[in-house]
Amino acid sequence: MSEPFEPKIIAFVCTYCTYAGADLAGTSRLKYAPNVRIVRLPCTGRISPMFLLKALQKGADGVLVSGCHPGDCHFTHGNYHARRRWMVFRSLLDFLGISPERVKFSWISAAEGGKFADLINSVTEDIRKLGPFDQYKELIRETETPATL
Amino acid sequence: MITQEKYRTRVKELLASNSVKMVIGYKQGSTADRRRPLFVRSFEEADELVLDSNCIGNLAGYLVTEGLLSDEKRVGIFLRPEGIRSINILAAESQLNPEQIIIFGFDTSGREVKALQGEQAEDFSGLIDSLKEKPPEKSSDALLYRIDQMNTEERFAFWKDEFSRCIKCYACRQACPMCYCRRCIVDSNQPQWINTSSHTLGNFEWNIVRAFHLAGRCVGCGNCDRACPVNIPLRFINARMAQEVFESFDHYAGTSQTQEPVLASFNKDDSETFIL
Amino acid sequence: MTRILFSDKLDNCIARWRAAGLTVFGPVKTDTLSSYAAIEHASDFDFESVLPDRSIKDLFFPQTEPMLRYTIKKRAIDTEDFAPPNDKRIIFGARPCDASGLAIDDSLFGWDYKDEYWIQRRNESVIVSIACTKADDFCLCSSLNLAPDSSTGSDVLLRPLENNKGWVVEELTDRGHEAFLAIAELLQDGSDPIAPIAAVPEKFDLDTCVAWLQNHDNFESKFWKEISMRCIGCGSCTYLCPTCHCFDIQDEGDTYSGIRRKNWDSCSFALFTMHTSGHNPRATQSARWRQRIMHKFNYFPGKFNVNSCSGCGRCSRQCPVDMGITETLQKISTLQP
Repeated sequence: MSEPFEPKIIAFVCTYCTYAGADLAGTSRLKYAPNVRIVRLPCTGRISPMFLLKALQKGADGVLVSGCHPGDCHFTHGNYHARRRWMVFRSLLDFLGISPERVKFSWISAAEGGKFADLINSVTEDIRKLGPFDQYKELIRETETPATL
Repeated sequence: MITQEKYRTRVKELLASNSVKMVIGYKQGSTADRRRPLFVRSFEEADELVLDSNCIGNLAGYLVTEGLLSDEKRVGIFLRPEGIRSINILAAESQLNPEQIIIFGFDTSGREVKALQGEQAEDFSGLIDSLKEKPPEKSSDALLYRIDQMNTEERFAFWKDEFSRCIKCYACRQACPMCYCRRCIVDSNQPQWINTSSHTLGNFEWNIVRAFHLAGRCVGCGNCDRACPVNIPLRFINARMAQEVFESFDHYAGTSQTQEPVLASFNKDDSETFIL
Repeated sequence: MTRILFSDKLDNCIARWRAAGLTVFGPVKTDTLSSYAAIEHASDFDFESVLPDRSIKDLFFPQTEPMLRYTIKKRAIDTEDFAPPNDKRIIFGARPCDASGLAIDDSLFGWDYKDEYWIQRRNESVIVSIACTKADDFCLCSSLNLAPDSSTGSDVLLRPLENNKGWVVEELTDRGHEAFLAIAELLQDGSDPIAPIAAVPEKFDLDTCVAWLQNHDNFESKFWKEISMRCIGCGSCTYLCPTCHCFDIQDEGDTYSGIRRKNWDSCSFALFTMHTSGHNPRATQSARWRQRIMHKFNYFPGKFNVNSCSGCGRCSRQCPVDMGITETLQKISTLQP
């Protein structure tokens, strides 16, 4: 019997809004799916697409990026910069065959503990439906096998 | 031929009056239809200049060669409209002073070569604006059509196959006038974000990063695509990025020397339909 | 009378070799690229092209090869070696320049340190070359004391008959003889006319070039800067070269485990010689291009008595800025020693 698939999701969040939102979800004792590993960063503007690639390289089935709502950025406009970047990056991934469904973006404020819990649940369910990211994992496996020629 | 002669004469004038220290152009290559870059510093070299429809490569990248422009002397260069856009981007990104660049602009239709009016990058702004106004031509390439019809899994399989041939010679990067970083991200190992090895995963990552770094900066000169020794159709990826920034942010790379880089600027009303 | 392998028997030969446990490789062309690849039928071969885009080196020295897996534990580091594959292979239809390239690199990989990855693959492979009846403007074997029908590096040399009817078989080594024993009864005696080999005009006088390169005064010659001014510093000439053999050893992984790999590297890259301090002894592209030429025609022959170039011309054929060994040596041959 193989174990049922549990998606592995990496969330890159900004410390001022979404991380605080996650904290609120915790202190409010809200229950949500345990599939997400959070990486806290100062601002969404600091979240380089390289981080997302690294998560996939390390075997993530999905990636979530989340930060302050527009207008709420602690550094006034880090999230506006990030938004443009994601727009382009999503389109690039889509063109190369990495489903945008696996790379999600959201705004969650420090007050939105409930939204955080709901989002994690829905993202986890979405990725569960998509299944493991086998195509990418096959590439990872290939790097661990001896040369064939 | 007439344009070639006209430009040869002009190059000699500029050299004679010490107005430029060098002109970067084309000369006959090793086969009948190959043209190679030529660095003109003398009248004899000026006589080797060739200008015809086979002069395809974008020479703009040579301008950011270390030390070339640091003496503040002027350099001439033969450029197509895309090349002129490259100059604008390099200027906007503070990589060169556009006043140091004397442009020998040309364009071709079929085998015919025509000279473009102007010598400084800003002289061509009308031309570039008119290029932007033209609706971006839908590529009629059969392969691109096929890629567009694929579902996500099929597209992944297609690109996996293409990238599996990559040997990481970095000809795409070296041939690109926009890839001027002293140390490329793939050559950085602290931290090492993407694999340097040329297995398919490393190749996939490299090509994602390369395309992303050119989003909103690529002018579609095709240098990377032509340079690729294993024939990966890089032009499609760059073109898709150009289309994305054009449709989403009305950004056409290289319209002026003061154009803000698209990913280093923002608009409060930018689309965010994809954000949860 | 000579021994002949007729084209219509090739499919049978392949079947026999495969039945004998050999993997059959040969020049293959797809929509996108031509290279040496595994095949199953005679119809898979591409004997029409002058030579494949990718060199035969790929089959002996892959662009990336895992060497060992490491696991870091509390008190120990475990390692597990990756061995090179030990399949028996026959490479049918290698070009003589590619085969010569292998012989050139044998001297390096079998020198003081024996490179087991190279040597094992060489020992398990039979090289069956076909003499060239076609050449293009970039071929330069004849300028390097080689020829379109050189047998260096080959275990068997085949000379094409006229009208693609087949090949005259010339067994050169025991390994070649053994491989052809399996198909001995498919060979016939005959005296069909052999197709003329390709004409490859000599492009420069190698001895003149070597003398110029060996003169220490020319190391700092302005020539190097002039010839390499348009070099953009990509590594495609070195990576497509059948004899360029530089590699880098990289650890890919994290604090707990990872894989040590042997990856191609290129003297064209600025980073190739960059020191940790930031100092780069080959700081300019001209110094790097000089290194490539000097290595191939001065340092390597100084050590191994053979030039590290077999004249395939791939470097010039695909260079994005139309440079290459031919142009450089042609110019050098006109200089005062």
